[in-house]
Amino acid sequence: MVVSKMNKDAQMRAAINQKLIETGERERLKELLRAKLIECGWKDQLKAHCKEVIKEKGLEHVTVDDLVAEITPKGRALVPDSVKKELLQRIRTFLAQHASL
Amino acid sequence: MPPLSSGQQGGEGRWQPLEVPWTHTNIPPQCVQPCCRPLCYEQSEHRLHKSSQMKMEEMSLSGLDNSKLEAIAQEIYADLVEDSCLGFCFEVHRAVKCGYFFLDDTDPESMKDFEIVDQPGLDIFGQVFNQWKSKECVCPNCSRSIAASRFAPHLEKCLGMGRNSSRIANRRIANSNNMNKSESDQEDNDDINDNDWSYGSEKKAKKRKSDKNPNSPRRSKSLKHKNGFSVCTSASNTLPLLFSSSGELSNSDPFKYNNSTGISYETLGPEELRSLLTTQCGVISEHTKKMCTRSLRCPQHTDEQRRTVRIYFLGSSAVLPEVESSLDNDSFDMTDSQALISRLQWDGSSDLSPSDSGSSKTSENQGWGLGTNSSESRKTKKKKSHLSLVGTASGLGSNKKKKPKPPAPPTPSIYDDIN
Repeated sequence: MVVSKMNKDAQMRAAINQKLIETGERERLKELLRAKLIECGWKDQLKAHCKEVIKEKGLEHVTVDDLVAEITPKGRALVPDSVKKELLQRIRTFLAQHASL
Repeated sequence: MPPLSSGQQGGEGRWQPLEVPWTHTNIPPQCVQPCCRPLCYEQSEHRLHKSSQMKMEEMSLSGLDNSKLEAIAQEIYADLVEDSCLGFCFEVHRAVKCGYFFLDDTDPESMKDFEIVDQPGLDIFGQVFNQWKSKECVCPNCSRSIAASRFAPHLEKCLGMGRNSSRIANRRIANSNNMNKSESDQEDNDDINDNDWSYGSEKKAKKRKSDKNPNSPRRSKSLKHKNGFSVCTSASNTLPLLFSSSGELSNSDPFKYNNSTGISYETLGPEELRSLLTTQCGVISEHTKKMCTRSLRCPQHTDEQRRTVRIYFLGSSAVLPEVESSLDNDSFDMTDSQALISRLQWDGSSDLSPSDSGSSKTSENQGWGLGTNSSESRKTKKKKSHLSLVGTASGLGSNKKKKPKPPAPPTPSIYDDIN
């Protein structure tokens, strides 16, 4: 049976994700990320940005899609490097433990 | 390398575990990842996840290099960040729509307006407790100023909606029917002069009756169940109306309830007294100087006391009503003395007391407007002695055609049995 590489990768990812959720690691990582972002002021920065966007658009006409479109890229960009690194480290550790030998 | 999975007997005969414990030198052949090399604790985890590991191994991690793993890690990280951002967006959107997004931007002056109040007598909003107790509202119906706590019941009566008002209305209708009857009797029978007295007080009574509601729950209902009716101390009642009619005293509505258990007899007129004494004990208490409103068989007072009271009020011809009920039902013979006539007139109501057995009384009550309503209501009384009296009374009463006997001789015998 020949299994294509793509398939394997996809399967791999699916398996890893499943593992993440099953062990509860995903939740822990999420909480960790949130705490870190609030701590470093990411949330306040983003909130200020939100206010500008809303004032621009008008309070009554704000939709979820608008907000998402405007804020998500900014949010991603605003994450400090330290937070990013730490999180990546944790993920790698998890992968190392569970995904591979 | 020794085989991993086979357990084998050692040379000394010792039992070897199935699996050879991992050591960091004993890397399984499949593992080619450099990352897992330095970690010893992994091995314990490997034991736990052996099955899944086998699976994963099947999926062939071979060819999976570091970069791939890194890519996966990055992906996972990106997912997490995106989740956080989205979550934040939703929060903001909800705050905007609910209106509390810009709450932080309030200027400090306005903030002072909404500070928590901590003074005695006020709640945290600064409002006074019990503020609405003394307030007055204007009724939209009658344009009167009513206290706030009394506003709801007043409105109920004013608008004529609600359970109580319909009851009141029904009673009023019943009353007005009775009153019409009694008025017509009065005009026919009595002098116009006599009417003046009753008319005037009627008017007064009517007016004042509208103010005091006999059906209001405030009126004491303790008396209601004991007797057919109770009497109010105030002379401004509709009492004169009631006593003008004979035999129609079974309805208790015109009477007002008395909060005390007695009646002050000074305020009652002669007619009222008579009717009172036919239905109630009437013995005057030494302490309160009031008449007892309990039933004719009230255990607190003896019959001697009752008789004394009646004699005191009504003259020597007065007798306890229980005995006379046997006499009344006999005939309409009016040729006897005046006392008998007067007795007959108001003794119609006395049928209430001994008439527990409806069957014996139905025939006797034909001549009277009472019917068996009152007797049926009396049936609920469960006094055994009462019933025995009834037996004897009905025995007496069954002699229809006989002339009324003098009441004195039989009376003591009856009461001796009971007492």
